Amino acid sequence: MKPNNIINISVLGILSFLLSIPAGYGQEKFFRAIGTPHKPKVEVSWNRYYTYEGIVDIMEKIAKAYPDLTRMESIGKSFEGKDIYLLTISDFKSGDPDKKPAMYIDGNIHSNEIQGAEFSLYTAWYLTEMFDELDFIRDLLQDKTFYINPTINPDARNNYMNEPNTPHSPRSGMIVLDNDRDGMAGEDGFDDLNGDNDITMMIRKSPTGRYIKDPQDARRLIRVEPEEKGEYEMLGYEGKDTDGDGEVNEDGIGYYDPNRDWGWNWQPDHIQRGAYKYPFSLPESRAVMEFVMKHPNIAGAQSYHNYGGMILRGPGAEEDKDTYNAEDVKIYDAIGKKGEEMIPGYRYLVVYKDLYSVFGGELDWFYGGRGIYTYTNELMNSYQYFHKNEGRGNQEEELKVDRYLTFGDAFVPWEEFDHPQYGKIEIGGFKKNFGRAHPGFLLEQDAHRNMAFTIYHAYHTPKLSITEVNEEHLGGGLKQITATIYNERLMPTHSSQDLKHNIERPDYVSISGANVVTGMVVNDEDFNKVEEQKHNPEKIKVRNIPGMESVKVRWIVSGNGSYRITVDSAKGGKAEWRK
Amino acid sequence: MKQNFIFFLIAAFLAIFPASAQDDYPTNKEIAKRLQQIASSGNAKLLSLTKTEGGQDIWALQIGRGDLENKPAIAITGGVEGFHMLSVEMALQVAEQLVEEHSDLLESTTFYVFPNMSPDAYAQYHSNLKYERSGNAAKVDQDRDGEVSEDGYEDLNRDGYITEMRIESPLGKYIAHKDYPQILVEAEGRAESGEKRYLKYYEGVDNDKDQKFNEDPTEGIAFNKSLTYKFAAFEPLAGEFPVSQEETRALLNYLFERWNIFAFVTFAPENNLSNPLKYDKSGAEKRLVGSMLEKDVAINKMVSDLYNETVSLKAYNQDNQGKGGDFFQWAYFHFGRLSFSTPGWWVPEMKQEKNDSIPSKKSKITPETNFLAWAEKEGLNDIFVNWTEVDHPDFPNRKVEVGGIRPFKMTNPPYSMVDSIAKQHTDFVVKLAEMKPQLEFHNLKTEKLSGGLTRITVDILNNSPLPTHSEMGERSRWLQKLQIMVNKDKEDILAGNTIKLSGKLGAYEKETISWIVRGGGTVTLKAGAPHTGYASLNVKL
Repeated sequence: MKPNNIINISVLGILSFLLSIPAGYGQEKFFRAIGTPHKPKVEVSWNRYYTYEGIVDIMEKIAKAYPDLTRMESIGKSFEGKDIYLLTISDFKSGDPDKKPAMYIDGNIHSNEIQGAEFSLYTAWYLTEMFDELDFIRDLLQDKTFYINPTINPDARNNYMNEPNTPHSPRSGMIVLDNDRDGMAGEDGFDDLNGDNDITMMIRKSPTGRYIKDPQDARRLIRVEPEEKGEYEMLGYEGKDTDGDGEVNEDGIGYYDPNRDWGWNWQPDHIQRGAYKYPFSLPESRAVMEFVMKHPNIAGAQSYHNYGGMILRGPGAEEDKDTYNAEDVKIYDAIGKKGEEMIPGYRYLVVYKDLYSVFGGELDWFYGGRGIYTYTNELMNSYQYFHKNEGRGNQEEELKVDRYLTFGDAFVPWEEFDHPQYGKIEIGGFKKNFGRAHPGFLLEQDAHRNMAFTIYHAYHTPKLSITEVNEEHLGGGLKQITATIYNERLMPTHSSQDLKHNIERPDYVSISGANVVTGMVVNDEDFNKVEEQKHNPEKIKVRNIPGMESVKVRWIVSGNGSYRITVDSAKGGKAEWRK
Repeated sequence: MKQNFIFFLIAAFLAIFPASAQDDYPTNKEIAKRLQQIASSGNAKLLSLTKTEGGQDIWALQIGRGDLENKPAIAITGGVEGFHMLSVEMALQVAEQLVEEHSDLLESTTFYVFPNMSPDAYAQYHSNLKYERSGNAAKVDQDRDGEVSEDGYEDLNRDGYITEMRIESPLGKYIAHKDYPQILVEAEGRAESGEKRYLKYYEGVDNDKDQKFNEDPTEGIAFNKSLTYKFAAFEPLAGEFPVSQEETRALLNYLFERWNIFAFVTFAPENNLSNPLKYDKSGAEKRLVGSMLEKDVAINKMVSDLYNETVSLKAYNQDNQGKGGDFFQWAYFHFGRLSFSTPGWWVPEMKQEKNDSIPSKKSKITPETNFLAWAEKEGLNDIFVNWTEVDHPDFPNRKVEVGGIRPFKMTNPPYSMVDSIAKQHTDFVVKLAEMKPQLEFHNLKTEKLSGGLTRITVDILNNSPLPTHSEMGERSRWLQKLQIMVNKDKEDILAGNTIKLSGKLGAYEKETISWIVRGGGTVTLKAGAPHTGYASLNVKL
């Protein structure tokens, strides 16, 4: 070690000692918890939900606090004209973020499935706050880029939060369609009869009713035995017949499903309820599509939904089974199964087999249409309450949660109401933000675990390097140069779906500064099996660089001198070697 | 005086349709002029839905009177394929004739005419380099190799047309046709000794040295390959996802707001008018419906019969009944409307005349030989570019010849023939319009009950050979149900509702409906949907 270096190091040591002094003198209020940014520049409470305005506020704060790591942009406008903001997170000092292998994350495509926005935001916050703290995160952001798009349904997110809704509404965006095909759109939606901003249930005393209130828990309605007389009948969600057709709540907001609007195996509404007019006919999904088309470096993607504790991959429909072939499934399985370990209670599943059929879903387009390895996580499940799997909408368990963990916060007690059509009824039931949405105290943990899964996914986007360059003299002033390009991560530069349709351009391995006679891809070096490229041999086109494998490229050149070899892959980033 | 009058008539005629004096298919500019002429008649309105990548307008002509959007409508579309010049001319002439000669029909029917959905590709016909083009002006990497438009056509013989090249080669799969040696056909069976074999390509150079010719020309997305039904993702001219182009979106957005369209007539290579689509039970029962539904096939048959009665050309080689991503199938399978398509014209079948003095023809009839026979009979010149030798960089020291049937000639008749074709198709469109669903009230009965109550009973009849909803249309949210309405306060209706929805009325089918209402005066009954029109009836209580 040179003396110069020793001096540098000791100066640094003193400096860091000096820097740590102020904390030592003041009264320290905090003690570091492992795994969480200790003194974040941007303070965020991760035990509550944010409206669109709240999300934008946090994004702006992150972008302002970390200008070298963050870029904030609007990728388009929603139906109601809100900007759809996206954060690009990467170490901007180590290269163009749009040329690094990237992970795209969005949430809230279904407007009532809100926590995906907070989970996405948590990821942006964690990555920026930890960049200076953890080598792993620093290296990650040097290699990779995260495109984080917290809500792709901002209009209806706000409607869900600010207007009366059930846990399941609006789900669509704010375009109002004619659901009962009577020529009028949205003329008979929910009515918040008791004015509490939740749409809960209506029940009515009736001699022919088949329900009674549980004598041990009046919140609960139970069905009587077939031979018993009941006391109450169920009337459905709060509402009335607004348009005089004898139906209640038959034509409200929407309805369409933004997750049926994507351009892979798209099918119309009469084949599968929910599609709008044609792929990307909704402004929100169109904005995402346009962003993705402009960013071919996106190699992995994640979309957040609720509910059920699932890590889902496609295909969305059985008719699309052949799209997923064994090679890609292997990679999906490797990452998905790791996810099951990282998020206890979550299961790695396939949409069409384990859930239901989806045509034209977001994940189908990302994979089928762009060749991007993509998961959808269905956030929140019963497991998180008592570490038992009691299943979805288990009333018994939910009532217990509200008794012992949330102390009545989740339930609107039954209260009488005079209904214009039904007469005297009672209104009550679980609030819209219970069931699908995490209670505050469970939010941060699940956000962190899901983020960890996306970091694992992002980590395994391709990473390319030129590991070896061999020269061999052929005589006659000719030289053979063989370069080995290694991909040290799980994902190939082209998924097999990509290769099937040539979705992304080939990877280019180029040589400059040498006089190239010819060039070739070496398929088997030992037995000299090569594939010559006659046209433009300086820039060899390589169809794919598989994960954990290497590819060899060879040139025959004349003359001596220094040269440079570069690798340029849309999804694998860039690498360089110089002589 | 009489002479003057005739002169006046001719002058007026010329003033209205100056372009019909021309002798070739119109340019995009001339199309715009003719559309403006039609729109100036008062019963039509012209709007531009958008501009294409190539800067051309996508025109929509609304023809009708009064409340257009609440009368049953037919959508007529041309230029579905960019090389199908005839289809544009037919759409224009049908529009002209509807306005000029069928003014009465416009009281009850609306027509939306989209004369040219492929104006970028259409312009190729009038350019210096003529070839049959489908794609718009978008920049597309057709062969998906990462480079855009790196291998297009070259006019090697400098005649302004892209035809074919033939190269003598023992590796070739083509031989000269026995009767028409200028036509190449695929060799079958044993080669005769001394028979020349040829390689065949479209005219051009392998610019990127990938052994493929002209696989990535300067051409974008084809409208008729880019719709959602059976879309072939990543195929050349289709694009990466359906409805990717501005003009397609603009048209669909416009159509999705026209609830009144009950049928489409499309001028395109697909043909379900000469022969109806076939019913395939297993396809119809699939979740992704792959066959026209049974009742709709019966409708298709009925309309097809009407077509064959009206249009004189007999079907020949009309086996294209739909291809992936096309427009006519979209209109039915994904938009739920009745959908009919015809190319309007095709090369008629040339029967071989039995004549002992001429030795009978030796070889198989192909579409090309049939075309040459027809052209001969019609005395057409300028249909074939004779094979001439050229120097070709990809085949040094080899005999390379350029020639073949001129582009456009097999799909578009000489312009002099279009008037009669268009006239017959106008007649067909008019007959189809006359079949439209038609709701009528019949057998109104009002019975006084005690206490100021009245029972109203009435039949609603669909007085049409067509049902109000196709079987597919019944399933679609983009067709409204029949709304049966009474304008009485809800409190005064003791039995029934202010609005009742009815899914469908079949051909000549009726539905009986009754209400019990309170009070006197007059009530108005109304029944219908935009695509059937509305019937209304005043009832005195």
